[in-house]
Amino acid sequence: MKAHRSQQALVHLSLLVALLLTLIPWPTALQLWMPQWTAMVIAYWSLHNQNRSVMLLAFFYGLLLDVLMGSLLGKHGMALVALSFLVLKSAKQLRMTSFWQLLLMVLVLLFNDLIIRLFIDWASYGYLPKWQDFLPLISVVFIWPWLHYLLNRIDNYLRHH
Amino acid sequence: MDALSQQQKLTQSPLFRFILLQFVCLVLMIADKNSHITQPLRQGLSWLAVPLIKVVDWPQQLYQTVEIAIARQAKLIDENNALKQQLLTLQLKAQRNTTLSTENQRLRAMLNTAQELPMNTSVAFVTDIAQTQKRQHIVINQGQADGLFLGQPVLSLSGVVGQVDVLAEHYAHVIVITDPAHVIPAEILRTGLRTLAYGDGDDLLLKEVPISADIRVDDVLITSGFGNRFPRGLTIANLTDVSVSAERDFQVATANPTAVINQLTEVFLIWPDEPTP
Repeated sequence: MKAHRSQQALVHLSLLVALLLTLIPWPTALQLWMPQWTAMVIAYWSLHNQNRSVMLLAFFYGLLLDVLMGSLLGKHGMALVALSFLVLKSAKQLRMTSFWQLLLMVLVLLFNDLIIRLFIDWASYGYLPKWQDFLPLISVVFIWPWLHYLLNRIDNYLRHH
Repeated sequence: MDALSQQQKLTQSPLFRFILLQFVCLVLMIADKNSHITQPLRQGLSWLAVPLIKVVDWPQQLYQTVEIAIARQAKLIDENNALKQQLLTLQLKAQRNTTLSTENQRLRAMLNTAQELPMNTSVAFVTDIAQTQKRQHIVINQGQADGLFLGQPVLSLSGVVGQVDVLAEHYAHVIVITDPAHVIPAEILRTGLRTLAYGDGDDLLLKEVPISADIRVDDVLITSGFGNRFPRGLTIANLTDVSVSAERDFQVATANPTAVINQLTEVFLIWPDEPTP
């Protein structure tokens, strides 16, 4: 019970840190490469959290992100809920796959997340995507393994103490 | 009993939840796009967002405090002298302005035209928040609680910045005039020619200037007051380039905003309809 509660705390903490990482004003050159922090953390918890309320979490943090970014209310919510659902659905298989396959799957799902948001931008005010919009996916390749490892270590530590 | 457990199973299934949440998001987006009925929800969530903004802003404020604390005495004296000089020149200008404005008022009274009222203004600070949005937004530290409204003009000392686009309780997103989705009714100061200035990333674009119109590089662009958003006569930009469009039906001009938009620290909000108390 106690382990469960500390895991819940970790879920919220990691999501808040992801939000902060999104908000920090990086230099303009780096800003283009910023990965989707919140989406990556949501993907991790959908993969490893046994209880099924992750989708609600994704919805809630998505709305919070919308309010912070001043975007259409529900835009990030929709993308994150879709991501969470797709990961949850194949979580059992994904947990068994090799490192590279998992990385590839995460990339595909985050690409999907980008596409959903670009589509909503296009539908709401006619935004036309540029090739720079896909740069975050490249930094995801480098950051996802470390994020996965780090959260895994903390999670395991909490579970055994 | 059987039907009940089946129903429970249905509401528990991820697919059902997924569809329900997506539907909620869709409804929210449509409602948000077309009216302002989602405003209460936005404000409720903004209570959670404010601490996050504060946390991101905090190191910046700390840096400024420390900078002032350890700045050398000599540097401060230099700065003080420079400011005094600046004040002197501005006071001289202001003196000339008082005679001009009384003269203006007298002339207006003679012509029976509407009096120009001084506008009610307030200062807001720009928070240092990254915008990964595809829109050019800046976030300021005042919101609905401070009396802001949607579409309110936002200025800096050197020119027009934009207008309030998304409003929360204690902060607001301001859309900048150079955003590709933003258009501002403008006027060439020298000739009085009225046109529209479209946002174009870093610059403004005047796409619809008649071929016969007289415009030149270095002309000053001011707000025309059309559309009742921005009051008339605020500086927007300087023209940097004039050419003829590809179809040879219009003149096209680019203009560089006088406000340095990516280096703003404070902005001014104005209430055009309310005179100063």
